[in-house]
Amino acid sequence: MNLAYFLSILVFSPLLGVLVLSFLPRTQESLIKTVGFLATLPALVLSLIAYFQDRAGAGLEQLNEKVSWIQFGDSGQLGNLFSIDYELGLDGFSLIMIVLTAVLSTLAAIASIHIKKEWKGYFMLFLLLEVGMLGVFAAENLILFFIFFEITLIPTFFLIGKWGYYEKENAAYSFLIYNGLGSAVLLIVIMVLFARTGTANIDALMAAMNADNPQLVAPISENMKMGMLIALLIAFGVKLPIFPLHSWMVRVHVQAPPSIVMLHAGVLLKIGAFGLIRFGMGIFPEQFQSLAVWLAVLGVVNLLYGAFLAFVQTDFKMVLAYSSISHMGIVLIGLGALNEAGIQGAIFQVVSHGLIAALLFFLVGVFYERFQTSSIQNLGGLAKGMPITAGFLLAGAMASLGLPGMSGFVSEFMAFLGLFKEMPILAASGTIGIIMTAVYLLRAVLGITYGKAHRDFAGITDMKKFEFVPVLVLVGLIVLIGVYPSVLSEPLTSTLETIMLGIGG
Amino acid sequence: MAPALKDLFIRSQSGTPCSRVCSKKGIVIMMENAWIIPLFPLLSFLFLILFGKRLKEASAYIGILFTLASLVYSLLVLFDRFSAPTYKAEGVWLTIGDVQLTAGFEVNQLNALMLVIVSLVSFLVHTYSKGYMQGEDRFPVFYAYLGLFTFAMLGLVISPNLLQTYFFWELVGLGSFLLIGFYFYKEEAKAAAKKAFIMTRIGDVGLLIGMILLFWQAGSFEYDEIFAAVEAGAISGTMITLTAILIFVGAVGKSGQFPLHTWLPDAMEGPTPVSALIHAATMVAAGVYLVAALFPLFAASETALMTVAVIGAFTAIFAASIGLVQKDIKRVLAYSTVSQLGYMMLALGSAGYVAGVFHLMTHAFFKALLFLAAGSVIHAVHTQNIEHMGGLWKKLRVTGPLFLIGTLAISGVPLFSGFFSKDEILIAAWAHGNTVLFWLAVIAAFFTAFYMFRLFFLVFAGEARTDMKNVHESPSVMTLPMVVLGVLAVVAGYVNTPWFGTFLGDWLVEDNHALGHGHIEGPAWIMIVATAVSLLGIFLAWLMYGKRSLSRDWLTSRMPLSYSVLYNKYYIDEFYSMTVVTGAKFISSFLRFLEVFLVEGLVKSVTGIISALGRLGSKFHNGQIQTYGTVAFVGLAILVVIYAFTGGYLK
Repeated sequence: MNLAYFLSILVFSPLLGVLVLSFLPRTQESLIKTVGFLATLPALVLSLIAYFQDRAGAGLEQLNEKVSWIQFGDSGQLGNLFSIDYELGLDGFSLIMIVLTAVLSTLAAIASIHIKKEWKGYFMLFLLLEVGMLGVFAAENLILFFIFFEITLIPTFFLIGKWGYYEKENAAYSFLIYNGLGSAVLLIVIMVLFARTGTANIDALMAAMNADNPQLVAPISENMKMGMLIALLIAFGVKLPIFPLHSWMVRVHVQAPPSIVMLHAGVLLKIGAFGLIRFGMGIFPEQFQSLAVWLAVLGVVNLLYGAFLAFVQTDFKMVLAYSSISHMGIVLIGLGALNEAGIQGAIFQVVSHGLIAALLFFLVGVFYERFQTSSIQNLGGLAKGMPITAGFLLAGAMASLGLPGMSGFVSEFMAFLGLFKEMPILAASGTIGIIMTAVYLLRAVLGITYGKAHRDFAGITDMKKFEFVPVLVLVGLIVLIGVYPSVLSEPLTSTLETIMLGIGG
Repeated sequence: MAPALKDLFIRSQSGTPCSRVCSKKGIVIMMENAWIIPLFPLLSFLFLILFGKRLKEASAYIGILFTLASLVYSLLVLFDRFSAPTYKAEGVWLTIGDVQLTAGFEVNQLNALMLVIVSLVSFLVHTYSKGYMQGEDRFPVFYAYLGLFTFAMLGLVISPNLLQTYFFWELVGLGSFLLIGFYFYKEEAKAAAKKAFIMTRIGDVGLLIGMILLFWQAGSFEYDEIFAAVEAGAISGTMITLTAILIFVGAVGKSGQFPLHTWLPDAMEGPTPVSALIHAATMVAAGVYLVAALFPLFAASETALMTVAVIGAFTAIFAASIGLVQKDIKRVLAYSTVSQLGYMMLALGSAGYVAGVFHLMTHAFFKALLFLAAGSVIHAVHTQNIEHMGGLWKKLRVTGPLFLIGTLAISGVPLFSGFFSKDEILIAAWAHGNTVLFWLAVIAAFFTAFYMFRLFFLVFAGEARTDMKNVHESPSVMTLPMVVLGVLAVVAGYVNTPWFGTFLGDWLVEDNHALGHGHIEGPAWIMIVATAVSLLGIFLAWLMYGKRSLSRDWLTSRMPLSYSVLYNKYYIDEFYSMTVVTGAKFISSFLRFLEVFLVEGLVKSVTGIISALGRLGSKFHNGQIQTYGTVAFVGLAILVVIYAFTGGYLK
């Protein structure tokens, strides 16, 4: 197999679908949907090949790509001072994120069958979004990362604003403003780093920032490092989101079409966690350590704040939105613990929540399609009319509240295991969140499925054939990780070692 | 299991090494494969979830056959364990840095005994349900859930470490939750299922915290390594006490001990076979099992033991007092279960390891019997209110005597199983010096005999108090399992008696001095007192409800207040709803207020600032060259100033 352009092909393969779609007439609904779905498959297949190659011990380095792109600066003094290369590469963590993205994209494409209008534009944007997401995780330098990061924003903005629900424009704008601000802050950090070190390559940056006698273009003081880390925290904190920067995300969860929320909650939010781990922890390990306590505190705040607010929502989508905030608190808790267990827990939570959120939002789509509502009150007694959907909804809730045997437990357990070692009191107060999670999820899910039927279920069909695919795949993966967590932990080993080396642990 | 995975398994060094020697004799073969026991019901679950709809009521046979397989295998393992040492095998489950978390299974005395109890009761309940659940729409689902629960419970009892125990601990909770909420369209069932899950989860968090703290102290979740660390003094006394009590919180939740007991009586909303299996014999005993499995940890802290004993004794008398006045046949039994579990906790807390485990076993048999018999009564008369029953002795010729056997056993009447195990508990409490707790337990024993015979007389004696048509005995598929349990409820006590020998006790503590003695000597008068109070309770119940020479309300009319306090279960549910539930709602409302005003305010100000900046910027765009020039000049000036101060670079 020629590996020369493997990653580029993987990342840009959805563009082929965009190309084909542009030649199709806009009225051919089923054809467009089929093409849109098929276009996500190459990336899926390639990412799975990469995963299994890695598991077979093939080494991810051979996938690295590097092409000279832009050079400038005074070549007389220090060689090509400023160079930006087109470079893609993978480590264990980004490999997992790529697989997650590819899987969720394919499943979200299936979920897009519920989209009612302008399928052509929808799928072109959808596929563009996938390119952006894949690129973010494969990018080996900050500038490329930033470009892909921005590529995700624009399609998302239109997908929310055009195909969403009643207040879609409002949601789309607040998405754009918040993420735009986050991007601006991120860009400043990237530019300062680039200007001072002369490189944007992530590995080179990590080496340069942490060497004893770094070869820098210009010095960087400790205060400045701290400033940059805080800026990164804000930039990625908007994305994650961290309290109190979360309100845009609630709107998006509620207003965007379920297929897009699957990607949004499943992958886009995770870019925040990815960035924090990769850049925050990787490039500024010392500063990260001194902020760890605050991160853990923020994590507990997120966890509890989201959980208590989810408890009083009347709309299931709102419950899930606050639940996402709460679950991202677990990521912060793990990162704040800053030990192997914590960081591994955080990464597990990133993947696990991606799968669980996608599952739950897919199910929202399933019953929204039938009842045009996601209000808990209006859906009561769903198990009577749609027992299979209700069963999967309950399974999703169980996964989300961290039932052992499902992925949520492993991540939650490790994050708390980590935090209890470092800050037992804080961790103990965080465990209230574990109880509250059960409380609000059961309240919402039993409110929907159990009890007296609130409506007539005559003529309502339970899940249809194609709807089984995403649900079964997601439940399967959730259980797989829950029962056999080594599928995730083994590829992560080297990434974790690098991180722990950085923070001197 | 693929050979590759099998290679992963590390043979444990613990216990006496038993490699080829035993294999040659063919002894360990069964124990080596004990991991297969939980898998049978798991297969049953998976199979029925997938194909149950087509099988309809034939699903019962699948469930029954698979649990029979578990039962047979468990019995073989138990017989193996009589002659072979503890067997343990583990493989790596998850690697975190240098730490390897393992999963596997262990067969020691306690596990082997529990395997048999669980698979036996489960098998009998599977059989019984075929009759009880007949005609139910979701018959296959019921059997699937039973399989899931049995899988989890069997997995729980063969876990060799705390993490794995916790894993299955939560899964049995899931099984319980699903089965309580089996009649999901009933609001009461929905509320009860939710309550059971949440209340036990509160306890589980205690267990989780205790387990994690213990891990960072002992460096392992393995039971044997934890005990080794405790014994070596590697863990400070405070830490032992703290972790033991936290773990006990988990047991309190699962075993329905005060103050987390309120879910258990509500759990009676589930079908009655479920109450027999989960909420009498197995899952609720898991808390007791957990304390027993971690006994060396508890034994290392007198404070922890005392906590266990006090909570146990208090729960025993507290729940028994509520049981005195309840009118629902299943609720009386539920409070009785809570009370009996309290006895077991009292035993363990009084260092009576054997007594606790012994009572766990006998209770599993007679309480499962009582529930199944109650189910048979409900099946016949279609009500659970004992005020509406009466005179069933003549109509239910099999159920009646069996119910009587169960009642005699639980009341501690001599020669029945409960007599011997309760006696052990009282002796343990006395010998450990818990005099107050001992007398509480004696009073609770009196209550127990009274409310159980009150129940018996109200249901079976006298004449029918309402018009009941078509009352007939249950089919043999239901009565046969009851007969088996009835036999066990009589004879199970004889494995451990002061008269014929304490076989069970000696075997349980064999090779493990941390568990104490197989038999604790106690004064002979204890047995006499226990017998006397139980007979007294029966006599009083007979006077009031059997012979009716005493008016039924001679006591309640004198103490209406205490009656209504008891009848309303000490208003604990109301108390929780006023404090905890209202508290959570208040916090949520407060945060919502914060969300609306503070966070949304932040959003408004961010957008406000941006649009203000935009407006400001656009003001300079007025087409006047002078303005542009000024702006450019001011900007340049600022840059120059910055440059001058920093020497070109911001540091």
